[in-house]
Amino acid sequence: MKKLMVFLFSLMLLFTIGCGKEGEMIKSGDTVKIAFMGPMTGDAANYGKLMSQAVKIAVDEFNATGGVNGFKVQLIIEDDEGKVEKGDPAIEKLAGVDKVFGLVGAVFSSVSLQVAPKAEAAKIVMISPSSTHKDLPSKGAFIFRDVMSDALQAVVFGKYLATVEKIKNVAILYVKNEYSQGLAKDFKTQFEKEGGKVIAEETALQGDKDFKTQLTKIKGTNPEALYIPNYVAEIAQILEQAKQLGLKVKIYSADGFSNPQIFDLAGDLANGVIFTQAAQQPASKTRTDFEAKYQSRWSDKPDAFSLNAYDGARIILNAIKAVAQKSGDSLLINRDKMREIVAKTKDFDGASGKITFATDRDLISNIGIYTVEKKKYKQIKMFQLDGEKLIEIK
Amino acid sequence: MNLFNIPSNELLQHLINGLTLGAIYSLIALGYTMVYGILKFINFAHGEILMIGTYAGYYLFNILCNPADGGIRVMLAFILSMIFAMFVSAFFGVTIERIAYRPLRKAPRLAPLLSAIGVSIILMNLAALFFGTKSKKFDYPFNNSTIMIGGASITPNQIMILIVGLILMISLKLFIDKSRLGKAMRATSQNQSVASLMGINVNFIISLTFAIGSALAAVAGILIAMEFKVYPTIGQMAGLKAFIAAVVGGIGNISGAMLGGIVLGLLETFGVVILGIPQGLKDTIAFSVLIIILLVKPSGILIKNIKEKV
Amino acid sequence: MLNFILLIFIYIGIFGIAAIGLNLIVGYTGMLSLCQAAFLGIGAYSTAILMTTANINFWMAFIISGLIAALCGILIGIPTLRLRGDYLAIATLGFGEIVKNIIINWDNMTKGPMGINGIPGLKLLNFTFTSLDKLPWTLIIWIFVAIAYYIVRRIVRSRIGRALEAIREDEIAASSMGINTAKYKIGAFTLGAFFAGLAGSLFAAYNQSVAPNTFDFMMSITILCMIVLGGLGNNAATIVGAILIVVSSELPRLLGISNIIPPQLNQVLFGFILVFMMIYRPQGIIGRIKLNYAKIIKEEILHLEK
Repeated sequence: MKKLMVFLFSLMLLFTIGCGKEGEMIKSGDTVKIAFMGPMTGDAANYGKLMSQAVKIAVDEFNATGGVNGFKVQLIIEDDEGKVEKGDPAIEKLAGVDKVFGLVGAVFSSVSLQVAPKAEAAKIVMISPSSTHKDLPSKGAFIFRDVMSDALQAVVFGKYLATVEKIKNVAILYVKNEYSQGLAKDFKTQFEKEGGKVIAEETALQGDKDFKTQLTKIKGTNPEALYIPNYVAEIAQILEQAKQLGLKVKIYSADGFSNPQIFDLAGDLANGVIFTQAAQQPASKTRTDFEAKYQSRWSDKPDAFSLNAYDGARIILNAIKAVAQKSGDSLLINRDKMREIVAKTKDFDGASGKITFATDRDLISNIGIYTVEKKKYKQIKMFQLDGEKLIEIK
Repeated sequence: MNLFNIPSNELLQHLINGLTLGAIYSLIALGYTMVYGILKFINFAHGEILMIGTYAGYYLFNILCNPADGGIRVMLAFILSMIFAMFVSAFFGVTIERIAYRPLRKAPRLAPLLSAIGVSIILMNLAALFFGTKSKKFDYPFNNSTIMIGGASITPNQIMILIVGLILMISLKLFIDKSRLGKAMRATSQNQSVASLMGINVNFIISLTFAIGSALAAVAGILIAMEFKVYPTIGQMAGLKAFIAAVVGGIGNISGAMLGGIVLGLLETFGVVILGIPQGLKDTIAFSVLIIILLVKPSGILIKNIKEKV
Repeated sequence: MLNFILLIFIYIGIFGIAAIGLNLIVGYTGMLSLCQAAFLGIGAYSTAILMTTANINFWMAFIISGLIAALCGILIGIPTLRLRGDYLAIATLGFGEIVKNIIINWDNMTKGPMGINGIPGLKLLNFTFTSLDKLPWTLIIWIFVAIAYYIVRRIVRSRIGRALEAIREDEIAASSMGINTAKYKIGAFTLGAFFAGLAGSLFAAYNQSVAPNTFDFMMSITILCMIVLGGLGNNAATIVGAILIVVSSELPRLLGISNIIPPQLNQVLFGFILVFMMIYRPQGIIGRIKLNYAKIIKEEILHLEK
């Protein structure tokens, strides 16, 4: 029995060593591989489609300028269907089979959180363009994101509602998914710290269409405001039913509201809702160029996340180019050195704005307060969080 | 008046919410229970037949008119779309019966049930593929402004669901009790071979049953879609809740479907409010009610206990 | 590439154990259970909670999770004793939804929609195996598959198995022959749930995280398809079914076309499997073929003579 164990153990050791996690040598004729992971099929396929298209543009631009010392970059797109259990085989393939150097993804926080430890172990630099869960960058030194963290959004909004809009009590109606619940809890903590009161907290399940019971209970508590940090499908139902029930309060939401589908679903009911999102960046040539290229190639308009995806891909590609060394006919790429370059990203000229990673690998970002006028989004204020202080940027 | 520390107008609103939700369940349960009553068969794909008809109605409605315009044209377009939806659902219902259930008529009861589950999965996913997974808005062909009743609100559509449900229930009962075809259906439900011997075309009756049940589903679907939007998984939870409603009221019993639906709607709404549990657990209430009824009085509220092993 | 293939084997193994359990309930006893995923979920979450909050090591958590799932098997087995086939099925479906509902709402225990991550790896002797150590995991899982297979085979070939099949063929007749149908039905549910709980435990420990939406109705259907496809009431065939189903699910990714093939097609395939198998090859649970007593007696005699 012992001999069997020893034998099995050595086999296992052999395989783990033999499978070479770093894969640093690219032979002549081979390509340098990076990846995009997101929902390419399923409910959220549109997100994946828009973002992967942005990454394709980045890769093609890069190859057009000579790639990495003459080596072409190949983009591998993996579908995770937006599901945690599908992220696993996806990252396994990318790490084990394709041995990619960089990953733009995943799209959903739950998948990113699941996939991050494996990307970390495989030393793949991962930059998520849209996963906003506060815990993500802490999953490893190779994990970054160029989208604003939920924690930041909720904290800023908690302060904003209490100190700027001077709301004393608020009711929250959130959905039991990571995004909505995370925002709701963090907002509540901050709002109460600032002296506000959350007088009603109601929940619903993802996919629920009937919120009348919750809204009836909320109406009974007579709040000044209603915070609904959800995705647009639920928000549309809530807006409609709140109106039906005669619930007349100020309505606030979060960046999920920035999905223009809300206008198809709720129409004019969306007017007047105030919500948070990453602050609008001043117009830049990089952005206008990218948007033009995107529109002409894909006849789609890029969304905010696509800008992040494009930038994330460029940061990865630039880092690869910076550390790549020719070794005879082959190319040597050191993953650790690549990571260091990415970590030092400061004021990177991105289509989404100037990108700087903090020491905890999160995106340093400002928050914008937006509203809707006549079914159009409009930024009304911009804030920066400096420690505990909310500073308005005029 | 304060009951459970809830003010009376809030309580009234909860009551109305529960009733309107129950009316929705009742409407869907009608078709479900009808098929079961005649054929003793749980058509697991009933929800998906509802969904397909709803999509058909949605597309035709938006092709025929611009709902925002309002007026007679929109109303006519809506009625036409509703009729079209009924035909589409009936077609699917009859076809599915032919292809997936009829070959299994002699098989033990589990076989057609599994087949029905399979059909349900196929239809739902094909719908997601063809129509996309994003919700679509089914506009009201009329002004759906809130009406206040004693401090609580209700909308015309919700009232319509209640009234349509009642009308359909009464019509269905009259049809089955009084008409010749209805008599043939009752005969078939008692004993298919004997009915056949009596000269009844059993295949036709079964197809007719499915056609009517499916058409009813389409009506339910469109009324509900206006409240809740159109999306591929409309049929899933709707089908399950309707089944629970039918069982609670007495499966196979038309009035039972109405009663069961209302009871379920009220239980879900008030259960959450009174027990003070999160709204997210309302489905747990519904399914617990199912299991309890199956344990305690499996024949449902309205049916006397038959000495049959259920 | 090897890692990816091992991953597929790991999933086949985990689902295989759950499928063997389900086969006992559906294939041998003839009870259509649509909540196997719920038992997997209960096992997975039990392990997750025990290993993260109570710091229990995997092997203890593994057994306890199986037992907790088994307990839940009894919980659903008892109320459904008197239910006829299709009602039973819907009741189990309801149970599955209840479990999923409770998991997502019971934040204090299960962390709700956030799920539980950071489950420590499996400790064996002096080694800790995480999801990066595919080969050890594959071996461990398949050892359990073999154990599960062997246990169920012993049961099925014994008097218990015959009782279960008698119940499947004609419950009233079986009862009048003196078989305590209640005992056997609940027993089948319990054991089937136990295996699913173990499978769930392995799932949680391997992935080192659990999320509420994973253990849904479609997962129950997937496992059901494995036994329907493979051949109901036949355990070796169940493993074959598991292999076919898991491979077909991962094939698009392996071939690199997972972006073009929508996941809905995979589910449509499952739907077709159910419809097709019922119409053309429904042998096993729902075959009302009378037991061939002569054949069974002959086999018993041959078996005794060995």
